[in-house]
Amino acid sequence: MQVTQELKVASSPTRQLLSRLWHEKPVGAAAALVFLLFVFCGIFADWLAPYGFNEISMLERLKAPSWKHWFGTDNLGRDMLSRCLYGAQLSVIIGLSVATLATTISVLIGLLSGYMGGKVDMVVQRIVDAYMSFPELVILIAVVSVIGPGMPQIIGILSLVLGIGGSRIIRSAVFSARENMYVHAAQSIGASTRRVLWHHLLPNIMPPIIVLFTTRVGAAILIESGLSFLGLGVPPPAPTWGGLLSGSGRTYMFQGPWLALAPGLCLTAVVYATNVFGDALRDLLDPRMRGAK
Amino acid sequence: MGAYVLRRLLALIPTLLIASIIVFVTIRMIPGDVIDLMLSQNDIGADKRSREQLVHALGLDQSMPEQYLRWVGAILQGDLGQSLWHSTPVLREVLDRLPVTFELGALALTIGLLIALPIGVYSAMRQDTPGDLFARSFAILLLAVPSFWMGTMVMVFPSIWWGWSPEVNYVKFTDDPWQNLKQMIVPALVLGTSLSAVTMRMTRTMMLEVLRQDYIRTAWAKGLQERTVILRHAVRNALIPVVTLIGLQAPLLIGGAVIIEQIFVLPGMGLMMLEAVSQRDYPVITGVFLVVGVAVMLINLVVDLSYGLLDPRVRHQ
Amino acid sequence: MSLFKTTPTLRAIALTGLLGAASLGAMAQAEKPQYGGTLNIGMVYVTLSPLSWDPADWAWKFGQDTGLMYEQLFAADLNKSVRKGGKYPFVTDAWLPTDGIRGELAESWKTMDNPFRVEVKLRKGVMFPEKPGVMKARELVADDVVYSFTRLDKSPKKIPTYFDHVEKVEATDKHTVLFTFKNYNAEWDYRFGWGYFSGIVPKEVSDAGAGNWKNTNGTGPFMLSDYVQGNAATFSKNDKYWDKEPIGGQSYKLPFVDKIVYRTIKDESSYLTSLRTAKLDVLERIRWSAVDELKKNAPALKWKHSVDTGGTFVALRVDTKPFDDIRVRRALNMAVNKQEIVQQYYNGSAVLFGYPMHPDYTGYFETLDQMPAAVQELFKYNPGKAKALLAEAGFPEGFTFKTQVCSCNPDHMDLLPLVAAYLEKVGVKMKIQPMEYGAFLSAMTTKTNAPGYLMYGGHSNPTTSIRKSFVTKQTWNPSQYSDPELDKRMAATYLEKDESKRQLLIKLMTRDIVEKAPYIWLPTPIVYSAWWPWVKNYDGELRAGAERPGPIHARMWIDQSMKKQMGF
Repeated sequence: MQVTQELKVASSPTRQLLSRLWHEKPVGAAAALVFLLFVFCGIFADWLAPYGFNEISMLERLKAPSWKHWFGTDNLGRDMLSRCLYGAQLSVIIGLSVATLATTISVLIGLLSGYMGGKVDMVVQRIVDAYMSFPELVILIAVVSVIGPGMPQIIGILSLVLGIGGSRIIRSAVFSARENMYVHAAQSIGASTRRVLWHHLLPNIMPPIIVLFTTRVGAAILIESGLSFLGLGVPPPAPTWGGLLSGSGRTYMFQGPWLALAPGLCLTAVVYATNVFGDALRDLLDPRMRGAK
Repeated sequence: MGAYVLRRLLALIPTLLIASIIVFVTIRMIPGDVIDLMLSQNDIGADKRSREQLVHALGLDQSMPEQYLRWVGAILQGDLGQSLWHSTPVLREVLDRLPVTFELGALALTIGLLIALPIGVYSAMRQDTPGDLFARSFAILLLAVPSFWMGTMVMVFPSIWWGWSPEVNYVKFTDDPWQNLKQMIVPALVLGTSLSAVTMRMTRTMMLEVLRQDYIRTAWAKGLQERTVILRHAVRNALIPVVTLIGLQAPLLIGGAVIIEQIFVLPGMGLMMLEAVSQRDYPVITGVFLVVGVAVMLINLVVDLSYGLLDPRVRHQ
Repeated sequence: MSLFKTTPTLRAIALTGLLGAASLGAMAQAEKPQYGGTLNIGMVYVTLSPLSWDPADWAWKFGQDTGLMYEQLFAADLNKSVRKGGKYPFVTDAWLPTDGIRGELAESWKTMDNPFRVEVKLRKGVMFPEKPGVMKARELVADDVVYSFTRLDKSPKKIPTYFDHVEKVEATDKHTVLFTFKNYNAEWDYRFGWGYFSGIVPKEVSDAGAGNWKNTNGTGPFMLSDYVQGNAATFSKNDKYWDKEPIGGQSYKLPFVDKIVYRTIKDESSYLTSLRTAKLDVLERIRWSAVDELKKNAPALKWKHSVDTGGTFVALRVDTKPFDDIRVRRALNMAVNKQEIVQQYYNGSAVLFGYPMHPDYTGYFETLDQMPAAVQELFKYNPGKAKALLAEAGFPEGFTFKTQVCSCNPDHMDLLPLVAAYLEKVGVKMKIQPMEYGAFLSAMTTKTNAPGYLMYGGHSNPTTSIRKSFVTKQTWNPSQYSDPELDKRMAATYLEKDESKRQLLIKLMTRDIVEKAPYIWLPTPIVYSAWWPWVKNYDGELRAGAERPGPIHARMWIDQSMKKQMGF
């Protein structure tokens, strides 16, 4: 009977992980919940938001938080809670898309370059260098001008820029990891490159990949907010948190501090949560820590 | 080692060439021709003849390959062309603004490292203690606030509470170092603290990795003092991705921390680029790109070479 | 001593203080100016760097950037300013009232007919300072004026047709310049006299390279001593400047301050902060949204406000459907609640009607009450009538159209959704397309702009305001408005010598254009300027020529002891 029980528990590694997360890293678990909360808000914004995100009502302008408007209203009378909820939608989309695309690009390039080494590494790194010496601004303005400001362009460009940039971190991690004994061991018994990469190398560079992914979510949201400040972000009336913070948040920061506080806190909370969660995951997934506390 | 360095330096050239062609062409594809922009500054509609006159005066009537070749030829003679709007040599404009960016970058990096490295190492050594948790939380908090917001708060609120605001008058470091630093220190702090957050966490992560490595355990087993173990072995190896990170941050600083420059009125490369793109000042854009590109590639070279210094296993050449 | 016992003493002290202050106030009318100090000024375009130091580049900002050092034939007569008891606030961006012009480099001038000629007698003894490596100190002569004009005329960047009315310019003797014109042109003095590009630059500077700031050298009260692109332009006092300023019956040598620094600060929070902490002594343009907070946190500041020198409007392409139908255009105007925009959006800091004529265009401007009913109707909120007109024009269900806006203008980015909301109530849907600055501007100049185009159009002066936006095929005519009748009337206006007749012509044309509604006319915001009280001999004047504040700044002086007392 004990054997059956053990088998049952061991049969789901995800459940195992989640259980470990809950017990060993409560802070991380809390962060994950916070992030999930925002994702939930983003997905169900249409149902949760008490008003539309662009419901202009001049009589209600710049009203402080109240029962009618939990986060107050902006200079055009739009409900800030609703705008922040829709902002969550946009931020979640931008954050997760960019993080996924960028990390994939980073891993592909980093693995290729770091593992192959030699000539392949040199060529790839030259291309990475060439790319990285592009002022991102130039690329962004070019794209934004030709196609017009918008989410798909920004997601695409950010993924590319962050992806190529992050490849060097993966590459350096691969450098360190490939010199390890078990990689050499696997190679010496004739394991195929693919097997070595997938079974031995990748799990060992998982921690930096995960940390990279989680920082990308936050980085994407932060960079979009910086772009909004420069006038190049997702354009109004789209209520991205960055746009709200850098636009009416700054203009009316004295007449209506809630215009900055609401989106600012949301932004900070999400970036904070993803990073803390990423840290916790990394700690749990580190193969060298398996078995240890 | 010397041959490796030389090879890397030579490899710069084709890279730059390809990259420069791409930028050259991309900029000209942006709608909003510089001619239209210039003519629209005035209030009388230009006829075809005056457009042609202006185009010829600006040298834009030649074919793209011709323009590009002329540009490359000029660079080899140290001439980066003339700004289309200001009629001043691009090289001079760039040389005027590069020191600002360099200084800001160097200060910010230094501040960032001074904050990040000790805290990162400490955090790894005392993993999961309250000190570690606090340090990590603080680092993430710094990360999570957008730089323009931090900059705005630093600019605006002291002026309301204490009637003080950062210097906005730029003087060259060589002219008056004290006055120059008075302006630079605040934006460098803002930029440095946000940089430090990322570096701190990376340092900690890699230190943790390294602390569990076999050779560290061997060192423990041999009875070496904690400090020796740390300094001699762990830190050096944990520094590789940290050095990578610095390499990644440096281009940002060379290219110009546009947002910080804008808020703190620093006449650096970032703002220059922003203005040039907005005005379609092609020579300036391509000129700045060239300078930034060379700087970035040199920095990456240094980063790569330092891998060799830090990790003996990587010293392959 | 108890508090109550000292109260009569306190009252006495207070009373003496009041009397003292009152008498001081009386004396302030004839305060004796002090010399010395540095002025830090954030001009109207504080976010923009100087474009060019060379007039041959035909940069519109030339007068603003170089106004302190390069002088012109004519400039504003600041003795006619409101502050000195006259009637002109000198705020309009490129217009000087005829009786508000004085000769700057010109001592006197007279016009002659058949053909139309203007003979200008230059002041004698006006000197160009010595500029090492460029030129020796010497007197300004007529040849300098001729040379400046010729150089402008021959520049490849010249605005075409700008000097078509000029036959020739010649120096008839050392201090006399004769302009011979082919025909009269109402803007003759604006185009070369007190205009954007009228600065007199000596040949030596042009030969050395007028575009290099280190070579600049003019007759003005200041000289460019340092320039950090993107940060500041520093001007130092010209000790040998020729002009004097009458204050309180006495004549004082100009300029008063030692240095003037024109600052470039791109970020709004940053330049407002700089004003708050007196790193800027004067800030010439402040949005209405920032005023309350500044008044609260820097209560000592002095204020002036004026109607913005540019109109805000949504240009409708009259060469496309459905905007070729005047009923549709008028309907859209009536569908927007402009009063509410003034009250709620601008918090009262806007005027309903301030374009294309600026309220300060004395003699040219008519208020809304003076306008015919058809015009007034466009400024009354009437969604019912709007719907009726739309139905009559064949759009009972409304329609959809695209509007472009520049993402570089945060005000417009907020305003447009508001306008869209009003239009939606009458069934008209507006699709907003934000564009980056370069792309936005070139859409207009290449005439490929969308049916709707929200923009800011500078007033400049009465004749130019109409010509540049409503004459066929002009660059700044985004609505593609084309009325051959109007073109003819405009041409006739330029040839009309009698100003009162010109004023009538312009009034009629304005009425006609506003009524025909090629734009959705939107309220014109009120802009503010503020300065610290130690800046004297100044009351918010903004321009003494076409975008040229130099003469105004040159007459300011600083009460240094007051500045110290206030803690700066």
